[in-house]
Amino acid sequence: MSVIDKIFEKAKKDPQRVAFPEALNEKMMQAAYEAGTEGYIIPILVGDAEEIKAAIKERGYKEEAFKIVDVNDEDYKAVLVEKYTSLPDTRLKEKALRRRMEDKLQFAMVMQAADEADVTFAGIDYTTGDVLLAGQMIIGIKPGLATISSIGLCDIPGYEGSEGSLLAIGDSAVCTNPNPEQLASIAISACDTVKSLLDWEPRCACVSYSTLGSGQGELIDKVTEAVKIANELRPDLAIDGEFQLDAAINPAVAQKKVNRESKVAGKANVVIWPDLNVGNVAVKLIQQFGKADAYGPMLQGFNKVVCDCSRSAPVSEIKGNIVISAVRAAGEKRK
Amino acid sequence: MERQEILDQVLNMVAMAYKKDVADLSESTSFKTDLGGASVQMVALVSEIENELDVALMLADASGCETIADLIDLIEEEM
Repeated sequence: MSVIDKIFEKAKKDPQRVAFPEALNEKMMQAAYEAGTEGYIIPILVGDAEEIKAAIKERGYKEEAFKIVDVNDEDYKAVLVEKYTSLPDTRLKEKALRRRMEDKLQFAMVMQAADEADVTFAGIDYTTGDVLLAGQMIIGIKPGLATISSIGLCDIPGYEGSEGSLLAIGDSAVCTNPNPEQLASIAISACDTVKSLLDWEPRCACVSYSTLGSGQGELIDKVTEAVKIANELRPDLAIDGEFQLDAAINPAVAQKKVNRESKVAGKANVVIWPDLNVGNVAVKLIQQFGKADAYGPMLQGFNKVVCDCSRSAPVSEIKGNIVISAVRAAGEKRK
Repeated sequence: MERQEILDQVLNMVAMAYKKDVADLSESTSFKTDLGGASVQMVALVSEIENELDVALMLADASGCETIADLIDLIEEEM
């Protein structure tokens, strides 16, 4: 059974409420419908109820497959405003919040923050930037983290790592040139993401062109500083480095190059790149030469799961990403 | 609202969001080099501006401001 099939099975056991602020988009509605009727999620369509109902009818779907939330329902909006503004650590007050809720994406995120939904899924009409910014304003960044970021999950044929053919990598999509604090945040979030999605015990390597001081320079200093910060912030997590990639994932190389105890060296299941140049090139190498399937990017670092999808994604890919985000949300609840 | 009045309020908000002494801040204070804040602080600042000055700001526009003066310009445009 492939990793994505396993994730689909997991979703069925505990379907989560997913809010779709781009409900009218044809591909999004189809993906929501399929994921809902197949039992993976409980789809909530957020928008103008009349328009949504007309689109459902026109496209031949069963209306009862969805929960529909009308953004024009003033009573419901008042309930959301009340719930949201009573949450600890929320910054926006009623007037500013209502102004932001004119936007469907932010309306859906307010629902999620107020526990009326478990996931907000968007990104087909909205840009990734819209989703990231709205997520930061409405859902917020997890306490202690300096940035939001992303990871991808690679299924690499022929790779025999500590999780079989799977390896989580980050950040290959969001954070361009992280400073040490931000790099530490990426590593910490990545560990939490793989725990909630895959039930892995994370072993996270921060990689560089040097292994434990074999090289010197500011590019390496950034990585060693990040490892130090991450260990101080989250001593419960196994985050180590700096390692070269081979020392991170290959036990034989680790034995040669890593001359101290490490829970991570040689058996890392999460690899953190020093910046986006490396991250983007690396994921392309894994895909092009390793013939890997890469799932993601999965956004991380928000207080609750926010998910973005590629604007050109086909329905099958959107559905996969919806289900992944639902399983992550269920995993975070269990913590 | 006069620019000076906006400036006074924003300086206080910046001081709060970035945990700095308001006396050390001015229009020429740079977000990147002087404050070195992460996006968490900018989110707090934008929320506070929206709450107190009754304007809608795009987080992306606010994050693009080099100095506090640029941010005041942006707020004035939105008012």
